[in-house]
Amino acid sequence: MKYRRKLFSTKDIYDLGPTDDLFVKAIRENCEFQYGNCEAYKKILDLEGFSPERLNKIEDLSDLPFIPTAVFKKNRIFTISERKMAFKATSSGTSGSFSKIGFEFSAAWCALKMSLRVTSNRKLISLRPCNYIVFGYKPNRHNKTGVSKTAFLTTMLAPSLSRTYALLYRNGKYEPDLEGVINAIVKYSKRRAPVRFMGFPSYIFFVMKMMEDRGLKVQLPKGSKIMMGGGWKQFYAEEVDKSIFYDLAKRIMGVDDDDIVEFYGAVEHPVLYCDCRNHHFHVPVYSRVLIRDTHSLKPVPNNTPGLVNLITPISYATPILSVMPDDLGILHDGKECGCGCTSPYLEILGRVGLKDIKTCAAGAADILNANGGNI
Amino acid sequence: MILANGILYDTKEQPSVLEGLQEKLTKTLIEQRLDKETVINAFDALGKKVAQGELNDLIDSIEFDGKEKYIDLIERMMSKEYLRSKTDLELDGRLLSNSSLITRQVPLGIIFHIAAGNMDVLPVASVAEGLLAGNINILKLPSVDSGLTVRALKILVDQEPKLKDFIYVFDTPSSDISTMKKLADLSDGIAVWGGDEAIKAVRQLSKPGTRLIEWGHKLGFCYISGFENEEEELKGLAEHIMLTRQLLCSSCQVIYIDSDSFDDAMEFGKKFLTYLDNASDIYPIREIGAVAEITLRRYSDRISSHIRKEDAEKDEFVLTGRSTTVTVKKDNSLELSYMYGNVIVKPLPSKDLSSVLRKSKEYLQTAGLICSPSKRTNLTETILRCGIERVTRAGHMSEFFEGEAHDGEFALSRYSRYVNIES
Repeated sequence: MKYRRKLFSTKDIYDLGPTDDLFVKAIRENCEFQYGNCEAYKKILDLEGFSPERLNKIEDLSDLPFIPTAVFKKNRIFTISERKMAFKATSSGTSGSFSKIGFEFSAAWCALKMSLRVTSNRKLISLRPCNYIVFGYKPNRHNKTGVSKTAFLTTMLAPSLSRTYALLYRNGKYEPDLEGVINAIVKYSKRRAPVRFMGFPSYIFFVMKMMEDRGLKVQLPKGSKIMMGGGWKQFYAEEVDKSIFYDLAKRIMGVDDDDIVEFYGAVEHPVLYCDCRNHHFHVPVYSRVLIRDTHSLKPVPNNTPGLVNLITPISYATPILSVMPDDLGILHDGKECGCGCTSPYLEILGRVGLKDIKTCAAGAADILNANGGNI
Repeated sequence: MILANGILYDTKEQPSVLEGLQEKLTKTLIEQRLDKETVINAFDALGKKVAQGELNDLIDSIEFDGKEKYIDLIERMMSKEYLRSKTDLELDGRLLSNSSLITRQVPLGIIFHIAAGNMDVLPVASVAEGLLAGNINILKLPSVDSGLTVRALKILVDQEPKLKDFIYVFDTPSSDISTMKKLADLSDGIAVWGGDEAIKAVRQLSKPGTRLIEWGHKLGFCYISGFENEEEELKGLAEHIMLTRQLLCSSCQVIYIDSDSFDDAMEFGKKFLTYLDNASDIYPIREIGAVAEITLRRYSDRISSHIRKEDAEKDEFVLTGRSTTVTVKKDNSLELSYMYGNVIVKPLPSKDLSSVLRKSKEYLQTAGLICSPSKRTNLTETILRCGIERVTRAGHMSEFFEGEAHDGEFALSRYSRYVNIES
């Protein structure tokens, strides 16, 4: 695990080139561990005809068999015993099935170091106390989702005076309390301490729309920030352009574009991606991204859309070293961004999917739509 | 949107439309009779309006290839000539009389159509069949209906007001069980289009004694035992697969090779991959999201099966072409492929053909048959006896033939009944 430790101690987190060699060594070290200790992972590699010794240079990463996140949703795959894990996190699966990923203590330590570097790089760490408004779940013992944990952790970046949650756990289920949120926004806008938002972009957008409809406008204290994570997936259908969001935040709450920060990550790829000032997700040294052809699954050059393959050596407890979520994306050359960061940046285009598919082949509708049988 | 007695109502007016519906339907049943020619002329006029572009704004919003071919087909299927030959064939109007007993074919009465969203014109076509047989029709729209159905049927009743008391359209969601049950209870027959789940739901919904007319989802396959003209036949099959995206009941999912050797299946698979890729150049799949979803699903299934496996023996091989795949499998069961140009090849010697097909008898509909001329009669007979409804040349599996039965039945006769009257 020494290479992983070294990788997670890297100072310049967006200069990938010099860490390529270290990254491959860390992946190989992780891969050897998984191969020797996880029976399911060994079967996958054997049947795909791959062995860890083939990982020698950065180009070799594309030959490493990747595991779709869907596989983690259907199977519980752990490499070390659950007793030895620091914690487990589950994905916020909307379809009923979710992944359960374990993290050992040393992975948690790496994650902490990573989070501090990524957030301080974006100047999110502050000693000035603030009022938090969390558009997510209030953590409780029934909720193990990664999202609720991340949202809670972000309230540690600056000391907290208060935390208001948009989703409250009442009578065994979550209920949105948007009225409570709007009241809190109005209340805290009159105080001196900055306000920090954290949560799903769609909820924040919805609340701002509600305020706009009611003619409510506030000026949040200087230093207030909107931090978002959990994906834009609710937006895909509505096709809300991000610029509309930024514009609304300025008009309704007086928050500048610069103070809106977005995170990207997944339980199955627990690397913290944070956007730059141009709102692009540059790949940090802890991770490598390959975009693969939608038919052949072979890697494609930058600026070509395809399936997203995320690689990181962060965890030993679950073989998540190379995974593929249900996202379509593009990897852009870093210099296209203009923020000065040379690392390529990932743009998520949306989910894979067969929209409004029309079929009368037996069984097809049931497979293609969660609500199959479409009568 | 609701359509009742020729008038459009907003969805929220459903309770008031339903109120007194039973009395209204009974009154129509007793007092009005629908003449076949009236229905035929009304649809003929509708078909012409569609061809002239009256519904183009809605049709244009549907994304698919071959729009012109589609509109042509609508016009053809609504033409006087086609509808007359259909009623002549399917409604035998059998009139049998001896000294004391007359037997006559009459409409079933009220038909509740539960249409699926798998084809945009299907709900209208289902109502058309109900009308041709003289019935009152209550249509429940599929959840994905684009608005085409109500518009087309409104044009129809405006064109021929005599039809207005014979057409009711509701956009009730199928989750509204109480309304679904109310509509089912009003009806003499329920025509349901859909997959296993939809059909099971309707079976639960309906009272015993209500006639169920089930148009279920099916699986198509191709059987190959020698060739008449190999090049042309394989090209035809490949083009059928790419053109239909393997999404239809009649689309080919599995190609069976008359052999018990896996190597023969592999050899065929490799050869066929080239044909399939060439066909995909003619009918390319442009939806990147769909392609990605299928690829990811295929790959996920492969990785999951690795985990489940006890030994490292492979029982399938995926041959990947430029934009299509052929998966060669060792087993012989009839199954759904990944569609979109991802066909399955399996060895199946003709001696085992019937036992394999009987295992899937509920899903059988179309078989494409490629074989030497000397074998065609015998193979066709064997396949038919297993429960298949259509045996075609492989390239024609999804072709529309005038005068063809649907899933082994003539719809109009299912929407009718025979009565006996003693004089």
